[in-house]
Amino acid sequence: MSLFNSLDVSASGMAAQRTRAEVLVENLANADTTRTPEGGPYRRKDVVFESSATSSPFSSVFQSAIDGQATGVQVSQIVTDSSAPVMRYMPGHPDADKDGFVAMPRVNPAEDMVDLMGASRGYGANVAAMSAIKDMIQRSIDLFR
Amino acid sequence: MLDGVGANLEQYMTLLADRQKLVAANIANADTPGFKTKDIDFQTEFTNALQGIQPNVMEVQGLVVKNDGNNVSLDREARLLAENALRFNIASNLLRGQIHTLRLAIEGGGGSSS
Repeated sequence: MSLFNSLDVSASGMAAQRTRAEVLVENLANADTTRTPEGGPYRRKDVVFESSATSSPFSSVFQSAIDGQATGVQVSQIVTDSSAPVMRYMPGHPDADKDGFVAMPRVNPAEDMVDLMGASRGYGANVAAMSAIKDMIQRSIDLFR
Repeated sequence: MLDGVGANLEQYMTLLADRQKLVAANIANADTPGFKTKDIDFQTEFTNALQGIQPNVMEVQGLVVKNDGNNVSLDREARLLAENALRFNIASNLLRGQIHTLRLAIEGGGGSSS
């Protein structure tokens, strides 16, 4: 049924926004990390959203015109920033080079906080949509009473 | 059995459910680069649906396009979400009335229907 597919669409939006929030929080937590397994300072990550068909067990069987058009969203890839790290003068730091500069991650906490708010609002919008659809399904069920 | 008004109400609710799905897709893709808002022309599609024609989904014109090529307006979608839910509410109440009438007829108007 179409309404249940709509729940899949909203769920995909919630999952994508949650992934985005996770990556942003990781950036914030590592804003001052100078050592990583790959070597060098932490590099900020960004998610890329891509619209996609939702995966419902019945979608391939009952594919209507609308089902083909209505698309969910998924995180297609997580991009790692490749720009040069910020060099900060901290002579006492254990990771300082011979001139006293330390390679710090290029993370702007203000930018990430604003992005995090966007992710949170997006998540909330999907929750509202899901709740409205759930209400419609409940009303359809109530027709039996 | 539920001919006339009942059948039309069923089509109406089906179309509302389809539109709600498009709204949910628009909201889910509110941050997807290059995504364009999709919708149906409800009046036209409802007339078509009564004749058994499948709805035709189109991209909405005249919305502000953001830098990433996305033109989803959350305010517009929130309004449509509420509107569809309310319309569905009304239609389901009307249909329940129809079913109630039918049930009265089945039960001989004894008034014992719940």
